[in-house]
Amino acid sequence: MSSTVYKGKSGQWAFIGHRVTGFMVFFFLLLHVVDVSLINIDPELYNEVHHLYGNVVLRLFEVGLLGGLLFHSFNGLRIVMVDFFPGAIRNEKSMFTAVLALTGILTIVGGYVIMKPFIDGRILS
Amino acid sequence: MSRRLEERPVASANRPKLERRPRQNFETWSWYFMRISGLVLIFLALAHFTITHIVYDVVETDAEFVAERWANPLWRAYDWTLLALGLLHGLNGLRWILDDYIRAPAKRVTAKAALYSVTGFLFFYGTLTIITYGG
Repeated sequence: MSSTVYKGKSGQWAFIGHRVTGFMVFFFLLLHVVDVSLINIDPELYNEVHHLYGNVVLRLFEVGLLGGLLFHSFNGLRIVMVDFFPGAIRNEKSMFTAVLALTGILTIVGGYVIMKPFIDGRILS
Repeated sequence: MSRRLEERPVASANRPKLERRPRQNFETWSWYFMRISGLVLIFLALAHFTITHIVYDVVETDAEFVAERWANPLWRAYDWTLLALGLLHGLNGLRWILDDYIRAPAKRVTAKAALYSVTGFLFFYGTLTIITYGG
């Protein structure tokens, strides 16, 4: 893997982040197809498995998924802008900062909503 | 911007090559597909996540929730589009990752075969779920 390390600036971090978050979201999607499809086998089974998503560990996982989705979305927009608007490359670095800021802020806001039942003490496990 | 191509002195032997249109091969289309599907997926995926985790709590999205939602064929179409575009976008992304990091040809072929099989199977299984769900 050391051969793939480039100059280590914003563009490379964006590239690595895009691959890691894309990988994460894709594997969640594979899992998600399976858990939703349980509904046709037995709605009760679907409910039981689905209820697990409400526990605190999986809620943290969902906050991570939100962060991954947001990073991949905003960085994807940055890629589209760099590729289709020739002038955008000059603002590549500030766009990456914006990607990180938007991802961070929206993950915290969304994460608070997702974790709220736990924060309020309504679920303990 | 650099000077326009026509103004640059070019050896006559190179001329036909430069005038030829870039080849529109499979990788060109896959590159376009990632950008177009990505733009669509931003809206589809983020709206889906917002509905199922922010507007409603995740424990509220039980079998009854799905029954109400899938009573409307438009939601089935929405979910199927998200399934199809998400899997195809992810499949192509994973294909790029495997091409980049697995150097041994035999291992790469095996990994890709596994990726295509799992993704293909889940695409058909997910499609079947959405279509055949009867509430």
